[in-house]
Amino acid sequence: MAIRVGVQVSVCRIRRLREVGGMSFSKLFFVFLILSVSVFVVPVFVSAALGADGEDVVVSAIDRAEESVVSAYEAVLDAEEVGADVSELLDRLNVAGEYLAEARVCLGLGDFDEAVRLADLCYDVVEGVEGEAFGLESEAHALGVTDSVVRMVGSMVGVVVVVFLGFVFWRVFKRRYSKRVLGMRSEVVSGES
Amino acid sequence: MNLEDYRTLFIVATFGLALVAASPALSVAVPFRGGYERFSELWLLGPGHMAEDYPFDVAVGEDYSVFVGVGNHMGCSEYYVVYVKFRNGTQPLPDINNSMPSPLPPLHEFRFFVADGESWESLLTFEFQDVSFEDDSAYVGVVTVNDMAFFVESFSIWDSENSGFYFQLFFELWRYDVASQGFRFHNRFVGLWLNISVS
Repeated sequence: MAIRVGVQVSVCRIRRLREVGGMSFSKLFFVFLILSVSVFVVPVFVSAALGADGEDVVVSAIDRAEESVVSAYEAVLDAEEVGADVSELLDRLNVAGEYLAEARVCLGLGDFDEAVRLADLCYDVVEGVEGEAFGLESEAHALGVTDSVVRMVGSMVGVVVVVFLGFVFWRVFKRRYSKRVLGMRSEVVSGES
Repeated sequence: MNLEDYRTLFIVATFGLALVAASPALSVAVPFRGGYERFSELWLLGPGHMAEDYPFDVAVGEDYSVFVGVGNHMGCSEYYVVYVKFRNGTQPLPDINNSMPSPLPPLHEFRFFVADGESWESLLTFEFQDVSFEDDSAYVGVVTVNDMAFFVESFSIWDSENSGFYFQLFFELWRYDVASQGFRFHNRFVGLWLNISVS
């Protein structure tokens, strides 16, 4: 009897162990399944999210570079309009434009790191151009004002001189003309009928 | 001539000379704006920097080069973009009559600034890769422009009239419009027809 009871107890223990073992395997299997799926699925979502973020970073870097190039160009145009020599600034803008074009091409090709690098280079090159253009514009404007004053004063003096000389010449001419005409006048002799 | 005639002559001559003397001041007050036509030039030259020997019969895997140039006669410095595009014979070109660019996406682009009366020029090299031929069609997978590979995946049908598989590399000129704060198609483009073959 004691042996039978002992056997039953040991059978129960084995069953419990089997049940416990069976449950652990199924749990482990599910955990393993979830992990396996995660290994393949999560990176897809993560990379898609990071890719989208990466593209946003590139686009904003290129937009920043493009805006700085455009505002520098507009400042250069203003300086050029008042007669400043902007050839050196145009050379720098050309370097910036080259970087910007390459950055945009790299963006199209999906080379985001290179695109950001080139956009930042573009921004660095063009950074001081706007300020220099304003400086050149001020200088050219000041020179232009001086030039205008000189021209106005010169012109006024010129007009006064021309009118004065014209008047003097006219007086001299009139006197000579009168003398010549009087000299040609026929004399009236008295006593003649 | 009597004295009155001479006086009139003196007054007219003095007035004319006074105008000449006042011309520097007049030029400040009334700035002269050139009445000439404002335009931009866009050109394509062959590898010898002449308008000859343009690439036409092109083979897969070989480099070809052309010079693309722009001249500015717009009266001030200009900001230009040249878009390099690729098409087969059926895809749309720019519509010059309506000032519309081609809707095809650009492969490559050049951005540059040109002072008035000056010009800009750049060398462009291109190569075809991943090309296959099947019956009456040719497929181009990749076009390399200035060492950058672009996936074009374009087909061309055999042109029996001209005996070839024709593709076109074309260049559109855009300029920055300060008023609208953006680039606008400048109504100019040049193209290069290319007959592609295996070797």
